[in-house]
Amino acid sequence: MLEFLLALLTTATVAALLWPLLRMRLPVRDRLSGELAIYRDQLAELEREREAGTLGPAEAAAARTEIERRMLAAGDAAASGAKAARSSDAVQKWLPPALSLFVPLLALGLYLQTGRPGLPAAPFAERGTEHPAPSRQMDVAGLLAEARARLAQDPNDADALAALGEGLTLEAGGTVTQPALEALQRALRARPDDARILYYLGLHEAQSGDSKAAIARWRDLEASSPPDAPWLPMLRAEIARVAKAAGIEVPPTQTTQSTMPTPSREQQEAMAQLTPEQRQQTIRTMVEGLAARLADAPQDRAGWLRLANAWKVLGENANAADAYARADTLAPVDARILADWAEAHVRQLAPGAVPSPQAVAVLERLEKAEPRNALALFYLGVAAEAAGNKPAALQRWKTLLALLPADAPIRGMLEERIKAAGG
Amino acid sequence: MRRLLFILPLLTLALMAGFFAWSLTSGRDPASIGSVVVGRPAPKLDLPALRPGEPPLTDADLRTGKPVIVNFFASWCTPCLAEHPLFTRLSEREGATIVGIAWKNKRDDALPWLKRLGDPYQLAGLDLDGKTGLDWGLSGVPETYLIDGAGIVRRHYRGPITERDLNETILPFLKGAVK
Repeated sequence: MLEFLLALLTTATVAALLWPLLRMRLPVRDRLSGELAIYRDQLAELEREREAGTLGPAEAAAARTEIERRMLAAGDAAASGAKAARSSDAVQKWLPPALSLFVPLLALGLYLQTGRPGLPAAPFAERGTEHPAPSRQMDVAGLLAEARARLAQDPNDADALAALGEGLTLEAGGTVTQPALEALQRALRARPDDARILYYLGLHEAQSGDSKAAIARWRDLEASSPPDAPWLPMLRAEIARVAKAAGIEVPPTQTTQSTMPTPSREQQEAMAQLTPEQRQQTIRTMVEGLAARLADAPQDRAGWLRLANAWKVLGENANAADAYARADTLAPVDARILADWAEAHVRQLAPGAVPSPQAVAVLERLEKAEPRNALALFYLGVAAEAAGNKPAALQRWKTLLALLPADAPIRGMLEERIKAAGG
Repeated sequence: MRRLLFILPLLTLALMAGFFAWSLTSGRDPASIGSVVVGRPAPKLDLPALRPGEPPLTDADLRTGKPVIVNFFASWCTPCLAEHPLFTRLSEREGATIVGIAWKNKRDDALPWLKRLGDPYQLAGLDLDGKTGLDWGLSGVPETYLIDGAGIVRRHYRGPITERDLNETILPFLKGAVK
């Protein structure tokens, strides 16, 4: 909307500029006619003086010849000058309107090239609400109050001491103060491997000029953390930040991530240039390459999971289910991946078909992990009905029906099946 | 002559560009204004104590035969917050004698600040009107001076001390390696 108004404003401005510029007429021959008029006046004057007798006939004739000579010279100059002047006249006439059009057009071109009209506005007032500062400050006050209340009851409560240390640090804008340090050191005695305490103690070491000790502490913490610990990305970023500031080299850590390469930025950009068919083909080639590499390195669980995901995106659900199974044999997958795996199975089903035993096995594991999973409830119901166990089917479907929102499109179908099964 | 006049702005521009290029590439620190107190006896120290009930600070506190760190700070100064953990460490782990001087800072502001962050100062003075800071050649806070046992200023840090200052000069100085 604002863009439109601005464009309108620019158009109006350009129009207001162009109107007088285009109407303007440059004085082309005026100079010559002005000159001639002066000379004619001079001739008339000369004639009057001659008749009045103030000027002798000889002088009058000489003066006349002189004026006439000038008139001829002026005419010649105008004739030769007009030709040369024409081109500069044209520049004078057309340059201002051309410029007044060119500048906004250039701006428009630049905007179309680099502008992002779809970007939502971010007014300062609204940004304040997004910023975590005010709510975090509330949290800090609450955190401190709670920690102090708990310490009042039990002065050696390690959790409360750790919370106090964290709260005091946040209160000081991220500086581990001496009182915070004391609380954390007392908490550490009871909890020698608590990630929060170790992190803040390392932060104090970094802030007090002992980056080496901080990095050593943090790297121990990193090594002892489970691979999916939520603080790991932050911890790694902090290690990198402190190491860089102190000029310490940190060898890359052994991560449990897949050794399979992910597409580089250039590759991703190149992909964006392709047509959808070409892109699909390129992705397929890459996925097949990944599958071939995994055949040589079948122990790469993360690689299998990436492959499964890729096959699923490509619609190759049978391949996806196989890849999930391979990952699962290396280490049991979690509920989120179970849901994807089950989806890869049921997508292979023709409408109205009964899930395969492999699919049922996955669905049952999914139901165990997530008793209210809609996919598991529906298809296990189908399997139970096909096996002749109508009460089990009805129970699952009725549970599902209760979970569905009132406007869910599959409600009607589900109600019909419940009725058909005699429920 | 006229033509020379036209070259003048161009010449000025070239001169300025040359100066800026030199400033950027020569590694000169424009913030460094040197210090006149280094190598001389420490300027006069005669301040009331910051913490109530303590004796005032005098020159004798700087001539004890042991190295002393003098730190000017203020509760309103953010870089002071950043360097504070370094003083906590110097005091706790390295056993340094640190004299803190609250500069242009009310006692009612400085004391709670120290209570909140921890107080690393063996001695603390109050320079409310900034006159002592003037004697010491202070340009602002935080600034830190290393003073040897004879009361001679050996180092003057303008701005917050850093890990590098700590490792390269302050710790060796405390061990007597830097004279």
